[in-house]
Amino acid sequence: MNKILLSIALYLQRSKHYKSTKFFIYNLFNDPNNPYKKYVDITIIFLIVTSVFILIYEVKHRVPFWLDIYDIYVVSFIFSIEYLLRLWVHNDISAPIVKEYKESQFLQRPFRAKQILKEGLLEKVRYMFTPSALIDLLAIFPAYRPLRVLRIFVLFRVLKLLRYTKSINQFMEVLSNKKFELLTLLFLLFFVVMTAGIAIYVMEEEQNPNIDSLFDALYWALVTISTVGYGDISPVTPQGRSISILVIVLGIAMISFATSVIVSAFSEKLSELKENRIVEQVNKSKSFLLICGYGQMTKMFLRQHGDAYENYIILENTLERMEQARKDGYDTIHEDASRYETLSKFNAKHCEITILCLTSSDVENIYITLNAKSISKNIKVIARANDSSMISKFKHAGADHILMPNRVANSMIHTAITQPTMYKAIHAILTGKSVAQMDEIRAYEYESIVGKSIDALDFKGTKLLFMGIQRGEHFIFNPLHSEIVRPNDILLVMGKQISLDYFKSRYKEVQNV
Amino acid sequence: MSKKNILLFGYGNHGKYIAQGLISDGFSVQVIEGNEDFYKHALEDGFKDALHIDVTKDELLHALKPDSYDQLVCVMDDEHLNVFLTLSLRSLYADTYILAISDSIHATKKLQMAGANKVIDMYEVSANKIHNILNRPVATQLLEEFVTHENGIGFREYIIPDGSFLHQRMTDDIDLSNYGILLVGLIDEELGNNFTFITAGINHKLDSGDTIVCIGKKEKLDAFEMIIKEAKEKR
Repeated sequence: MNKILLSIALYLQRSKHYKSTKFFIYNLFNDPNNPYKKYVDITIIFLIVTSVFILIYEVKHRVPFWLDIYDIYVVSFIFSIEYLLRLWVHNDISAPIVKEYKESQFLQRPFRAKQILKEGLLEKVRYMFTPSALIDLLAIFPAYRPLRVLRIFVLFRVLKLLRYTKSINQFMEVLSNKKFELLTLLFLLFFVVMTAGIAIYVMEEEQNPNIDSLFDALYWALVTISTVGYGDISPVTPQGRSISILVIVLGIAMISFATSVIVSAFSEKLSELKENRIVEQVNKSKSFLLICGYGQMTKMFLRQHGDAYENYIILENTLERMEQARKDGYDTIHEDASRYETLSKFNAKHCEITILCLTSSDVENIYITLNAKSISKNIKVIARANDSSMISKFKHAGADHILMPNRVANSMIHTAITQPTMYKAIHAILTGKSVAQMDEIRAYEYESIVGKSIDALDFKGTKLLFMGIQRGEHFIFNPLHSEIVRPNDILLVMGKQISLDYFKSRYKEVQNV
Repeated sequence: MSKKNILLFGYGNHGKYIAQGLISDGFSVQVIEGNEDFYKHALEDGFKDALHIDVTKDELLHALKPDSYDQLVCVMDDEHLNVFLTLSLRSLYADTYILAISDSIHATKKLQMAGANKVIDMYEVSANKIHNILNRPVATQLLEEFVTHENGIGFREYIIPDGSFLHQRMTDDIDLSNYGILLVGLIDEELGNNFTFITAGINHKLDSGDTIVCIGKKEKLDAFEMIIKEAKEKR
């Protein structure tokens, strides 16, 4: 038996396919950043909504046969597969068995595979009894129509929505933060309802024709304290009415208490919820910018070019500036970008992230750069440096581009004095205000130009000035007309935006045809 | 290109770099500084004729004869002083060309109102650079290298001399790639003395006196300068 278990465990541990499949499915269900998760979520939500809709529809109408099949078999079948998959990926048994085998070999003690198997299975059973797993299990059972009571199973399907809708989850999370207050309130409610119920039962059971049992009395107490007051049961004796007065006053007090607890829970969490929403939103996009610090540099950047970027978030750690940024209409979160937790919220695995370190402190900017690079090397960092002695440090920290505002301004002044005509032209090119742009055409994006000679590309016809090729580290200025474009080349051209667009679309089209 | 006289106010963060750059390009620079420490730096860096004066005093500014310089450059580290200085110079000398640097968004407008002919806003140029790095990193890098002549390639302006072979030629017909350089744009008196890019789609007839701007390797640009001059001498 031990041998069979071990060989199965070893086989599974060695199988790359098994491991990657399990990992993929685990992520699909549990990693909110997984790009495919949303499709799973939408499918399940669709199934739930349709099956509830069918239940409502059949109250008054005859349900067509195919809908019945869909509701009873298809939905249940998909839900049971989902349930089994979740159970499967919840924990791993084969790895602990292999580990146990190695340890037993090392320590020369008996190999207890069964024990490990038992622990693993127990863990799975424990999972099966968690509320969400129970809901999943009960939601599998289709509504058995002849028995009305069994329709309750459809309600479990609705509860299943809990897992798939973020806002309900967040609501529950917020409430769970006020567990103590809410439990106190519940206990108080229970106490008052019991006392008032018993009192009215004792006082009026004989005089009041509507109160037959203790259940009636408790029902009356709850209806009264909640301020609902159906009026189907009402006190008839002065003693009973006195109790009513007390219960009504207490009811108002308790409702206002409950409301204030829930409201304060939300107002405490509101900004956090908002920020989480912003982060989730941006994580769904393919690429985005994280701008650290809301100072003059950031303000100017957004004022000049904010429209050109769809997805960006400002991270600002001083409250005052954060509020200013929000007032100015930018998506801002109040976080310290130099903290690991802050940057790891962003989906570096599936998105292209560029961080702009624009705070006025070099130390801060270096720290953010290091922080970003420690999370993922794929995060691109453009850092601002104020002191030229910092450049080597930024390079060491891994910044992809280092920008020195002082130096940029100085070299512009220098150009303005020494080459006044060129200054105008260069300034115009840099600000994009001019009729001419200097732009790059990446050969790999336009496959149809790869392998062609410069002669064969129609620069003249599209009114572009071809200046050269960036090949690896080297720039080849004005190459021979017979030069062949290689896949990794970047062509440097100058011309009007419309010429650039036309050239790009022309060579893109060729590729599509 | 004529070598100009520059009167440079400020030898702080910006002035230091600008002064040294201008000297290495053969300009003559007169440094003025109001701050004792910066003044000492200027002396240490070899600007022996640097002056330490209080720039808020009009009579001291008069004594400098600012109108005898080609350009006045105001790059003092103190933002308020820089605006005040620009205003003083403009009110004293209406016709001088004043170039100023701005260290903040608010100062740019004030400098323009004070009468600076050109204001370079540090944040604006940096913001543009970030935008360009994000969108066309290679082109931005190359353009910067062209401006600073870092990799031996740069821009140069030529004034077409009388009788040059370029006289009366249409821009569309000119191909300078045989000389190893490219024609980028031109300044034409007929077109209102503005810089026009060659890619603007205007086929224009060049005349002597027009300025053309070319890009190329330094030695090729030098060689072309000789060719233009030679052509003139032959006639």
